[in-house]
Amino acid sequence: MQDRPPKATPEPAGNPSAGTLGKPAGRALGRPGALRAVLTTPFTRRAWAEAAYCLLGFPVALVGFVLVLVLLATSVGLIASLVGAVLGLALAVLALGLSRTLGALQRALAAGLLGERVTAPALPRPSGGFLAWLAARLRDEAGWRAAAYQLVKLPVAVFQLYAAAWWLIGAFDLVTPLRWAVFHPLVGATGGASMRTISPFPGGAGAPHSGSFADTFLTAGIGALTLLAAPWITRGMVTMDRWLLSALLGPGELAQRVRNLEETRALAVDDSAALLRRLERDLHDGAQVRLVALAMGLDMAKERLGPAGGPVADPDRVRELVETAHRNAGEVLSELRNLSRGIHPPVLDEGLPDALATLAARSSVPVELSVDLPQDDSQRPTPAIETIAYFCAAELLTNVLRHSGAGHAVLRAEQSEERLRLRVTDDGRGGAALGTGTGLPGLAQRVRTVDGSLRISSPPGGPTAVEIELPLHA
Amino acid sequence: MRAMRIVIAEDAAVLRELLAQMLTERGHEVCAAVGDADALRAAVAEHRPDVTVVDIRMPPTHSDEGLQAAIDIRREHPGTGVLLFSQHIETKFATRLLAAGSAGVGYLLKDRVTNVAEFTEALTRVAAGGTALDPEVVTQLAGGRQRTTDLESLTTREREVLALMAEGRSNAAIAQTLVVSAGTVEKHVAAIFGKLGLPSSEDANRRVLAVLRYLGA
Repeated sequence: MQDRPPKATPEPAGNPSAGTLGKPAGRALGRPGALRAVLTTPFTRRAWAEAAYCLLGFPVALVGFVLVLVLLATSVGLIASLVGAVLGLALAVLALGLSRTLGALQRALAAGLLGERVTAPALPRPSGGFLAWLAARLRDEAGWRAAAYQLVKLPVAVFQLYAAAWWLIGAFDLVTPLRWAVFHPLVGATGGASMRTISPFPGGAGAPHSGSFADTFLTAGIGALTLLAAPWITRGMVTMDRWLLSALLGPGELAQRVRNLEETRALAVDDSAALLRRLERDLHDGAQVRLVALAMGLDMAKERLGPAGGPVADPDRVRELVETAHRNAGEVLSELRNLSRGIHPPVLDEGLPDALATLAARSSVPVELSVDLPQDDSQRPTPAIETIAYFCAAELLTNVLRHSGAGHAVLRAEQSEERLRLRVTDDGRGGAALGTGTGLPGLAQRVRTVDGSLRISSPPGGPTAVEIELPLHA
Repeated sequence: MRAMRIVIAEDAAVLRELLAQMLTERGHEVCAAVGDADALRAAVAEHRPDVTVVDIRMPPTHSDEGLQAAIDIRREHPGTGVLLFSQHIETKFATRLLAAGSAGVGYLLKDRVTNVAEFTEALTRVAAGGTALDPEVVTQLAGGRQRTTDLESLTTREREVLALMAEGRSNAAIAQTLVVSAGTVEKHVAAIFGKLGLPSSEDANRRVLAVLRYLGA
């Protein structure tokens, strides 16, 4: 079960601004775009969801903080007094269980409102009696982290509540002219009271009070500015919480790593099984059939030749049969050559630069090659990595040919800081994504098995860029 | 030799065409040469051939489409013999094929078509309601089973004769293969029938029973 998005994260295909790889969409925006973003952000679904998260998270955080703190403090007190040690331990277990339950609720909130999917940590499943159960529960590292989250979350939640308040304050100030119009006649009858502007800053600094209807528009302006700022403040608070969520409510780094390895190992095993199956199919449908046809044709020709020394009844037919057999032999040879190149291209032994050059030269779409790899053999990636890199490049170039309609492609390979980077760009029609039948999911899987990553940027209309990063050692 | 009416089902075009050429050149009539099991069923229903040559692995799943079609054809058109061929012998496939009886069926390794004379002979046998099993099938089937006490009482020579019978060969062909006289083979066959306790009824029927006993099918 894997809730986390895989490392291969395609840029949203519909975002026309995602021109450059690896940059979040917002940073790539130009100046008019930035202005538009500032003006429209308060109206985005994401901003509303984040505000709702800040608001809803507070009561849960308050309950969690109080309960967990009280339970743990009581438990520590009881254990210290020695008299109620067993009860104290039981309370501690209760606190941990409660923390986990609240953690589940908080994960659900984060998943629903923030789209932050944190995998639930596994529950310890001890075998044996009550003591073993108690020991396992007390040693439940994920439970203690969840408890820590409950304690840390409250201050964060206070800030989040404050951030959510910006929205309310902004809205309240914004409608001041309306309030004036509705309420002032009532108030004004009893005395020329002014209408308050609520400042989002603590202490109410710099909040002018409206003494007239015209003044209320100044307040409304302050409200509008507050509203424009509010989404960024909630986002900031939420960002901090995201980090806490994955650090304290997730399965833990080691458990996550184990899970990841299990998954990629399964992928690797499936991948090699699929490879063998494909190989068998290719042999069965290709070389084997041709060899049968070849031998059969030769036998037919032999029959036509008749007994040794005798006259040949139909030399033309014999010639025809031998020619067919010869053609079949030629095709068997080329099929076997293709097959063996598909298993391991011999040119790869000469190093990745040569192999990539051969690939680029063989492509029917013109490929501009730019390779910056160390010449020194000691810095070469391991053969397995080179093989993966080669086949990824081959697959990506095949995709360019088959799907992009591009007239030009660039294949770039460079190596730095223990990473091998491979990048294929084309000027085609774009729209490539992991689920569009391009073989990209297969590539992403293969790359993941060695802790590599694959990124796609392919807005509709192009250009498409796919970048693969691999470690130097598998 | 009587001319046969034949339907070929083989998904590899190169082999399908060569088979059709070869059989036509030998004076047989190839009514249809198709590339998948559905087309095979349709062609058999339309042409009612004497025999069909069927590749086991065909589209769409490349698993056992041909075998399925073969079993259906034997049931629905008893007058049509079925010769299956494939690149690997699967005991499971042979057992499924033989489950409904060994008359008018054959199962050969694809390699056997490289000897066109023997292949055509096997095809003729199947068309006439006989059996043609690849020696490999016979070895696997016989080797994979516990021998019954009946079979253990056979001499080595008698077992050889029975194995050749299982391939679907006639007494004369067995005599030729073992380089003995036809009379000797007949003596062996009679001994086999006796040891297996098969009543002396019609010779051909006893033959099939002996083979089935041998194969344990």
